[in-house]
Amino acid sequence: MVEIKNLTKYYGRNPAVRGIDFEIRDNEILGFLGPNGAGKSTTMNIIAGYLPSTGGTVTINGFDITEQASEAKKCIGYLPEIPPVYPDMRVEEYLNFVAGIKGVKKAERKAQVESAMERLRITDMRKRLIRNLSKGYKQRVGFAQALLGNPKVLILDEPTVGLDPSQVIEVRNLILDLKKDHSIIFSSHILAEVSAVCERVVIINKGEIMAIDTIENLEKTLVDKNLLSLKVEGDKDKVQRLIKDVRGTGSITDITYISTELYSYKVEIENETVRKEILSALIANDCNVVEVSMAKLSLEQVFLKLTSQSRKRSTLEDMLAEETAKEAAASNDKKEEE
Amino acid sequence: MFSLYKKELQSFFFSPFAYVLTALFMFIFSLGFAVQIGQMTSNMLKFSFPNIFYNNFFYFIFVIPILTMRSFADERRGGTEVLLISSPLSVFKIVFAKFLSIATVFLVMMVSTLFFPIVTALNGEVMWSSLICAYIGFYFWGLACIALGMLLSSLTEYAIIAAILGEIIMEGLLFLDKFAATALVEAYPALDSVVKWFSLQRRFFYFSQGMFRLEDLIFFLSAIAVVLAWTTIAIEKRRWSRA
Repeated sequence: MVEIKNLTKYYGRNPAVRGIDFEIRDNEILGFLGPNGAGKSTTMNIIAGYLPSTGGTVTINGFDITEQASEAKKCIGYLPEIPPVYPDMRVEEYLNFVAGIKGVKKAERKAQVESAMERLRITDMRKRLIRNLSKGYKQRVGFAQALLGNPKVLILDEPTVGLDPSQVIEVRNLILDLKKDHSIIFSSHILAEVSAVCERVVIINKGEIMAIDTIENLEKTLVDKNLLSLKVEGDKDKVQRLIKDVRGTGSITDITYISTELYSYKVEIENETVRKEILSALIANDCNVVEVSMAKLSLEQVFLKLTSQSRKRSTLEDMLAEETAKEAAASNDKKEEE
Repeated sequence: MFSLYKKELQSFFFSPFAYVLTALFMFIFSLGFAVQIGQMTSNMLKFSFPNIFYNNFFYFIFVIPILTMRSFADERRGGTEVLLISSPLSVFKIVFAKFLSIATVFLVMMVSTLFFPIVTALNGEVMWSSLICAYIGFYFWGLACIALGMLLSSLTEYAIIAAILGEIIMEGLLFLDKFAATALVEAYPALDSVVKWFSLQRRFFYFSQGMFRLEDLIFFLSAIAVVLAWTTIAIEKRRWSRA
């Protein structure tokens, strides 16, 4: 539906976006993640045709955004970061106006405005001046505006910012519902939100793509198989000694105090059998194991990991492959020392 | 494009903006009118309405930057420019729709001043031909100033700066006429003809004398076209170089 090829944008001499490529498929929700200032809004502005790019192409439904701007823009509904509403207009009046400039035929305008208002639950607010609406409602009016003209592509720049938790859930459900007949790109810096809604994510940092992958794949690869998380009741030193005595354990990190005689530990282990041995050793020595789990890297941690890297990596797999190679090299070193 | 035109008109007429400006415009006209009546001597029982425009040019022109200052500056500040530019409308259509709406407001302002000639006509005689000619001339002058005001508004994010810049430039244009009459300029015929050619007031002078010259009309129309095109380019350019 949307293809972005080698997109580059410079503000004066400062690069904001550096040669990014990705596509939005038909009827999918693509998450667009990145820290503040990563180039998310710039990219979205370019896709929506508000800013011209310095280099590269954006094709929407087969129309180039600069060459066939009018046709391409008809396929787009755009909700910018700040909802583009006129404070002096009433909600319904404003939506009618937007339908007009988007070229919705007069006969269809009323029905479209009605359905957009219903979808966003702002029908009660139709006669209110936008200036008097709360931020959440302004955001919804902005969202309703993006739906007018039945665009095939929806570009939503942080659509849930400023909404209360119940509204956030409503908007999420709405986005999921819209998926049926729209392709959606949706930016956020909140990971939980992206993982709740999107199938695929693009992670961007400093104008470069750090990863493009499905949420499932990301989550699969996120489980760090070699890190065991334990909560054990008993003397700290004794527990540490016991764990270390088991063959195949690495270093023990993150020892944190929870309550008297209760500490949590993170233990590096070689494989699954080591876990069993650690547990039986602890139990045999009268240490009460309160909790055992495999430590999972949270989405946040991966996000931080990815976005704190300066080098460009095309996929997450590449990164993990590199990581395992590094570990293998390290363990080889250890063996040699022994 | 019609939707945008309609919305712009609404923003003028659903707020006190258009009414206050129309009142101001009529007030200036009425002052000019009263002064002209006061200056009438018993042996001169006629005066010309076009002279009211001609003599109070500065005050009338003062109103126009206020009319145009918000056109693009406010869109930028309010973040609604994104909506317009990402809509299927081309930038020129946006500029033109805004121009038409301001031209309409200006037309309403001018038509409302017809109140005075009409009252006069009820009690005396009015030379409608020269009056209409002067109105047309003044309207075109106004349109050129509106285009200019819109250009200035597209260059800044602050409406008030657009208004102040507009006042300065329009004052400069008025000054051209006096400048053309100085000995310095008259000493160089080439310079003199250029300055005179650009002097809007001189062109209006012919209209106010009841002369409808095609040359002047084309001058005003081409000036409007050039400035509107310039506005379009200015907006496009800013999109490219926005930092």
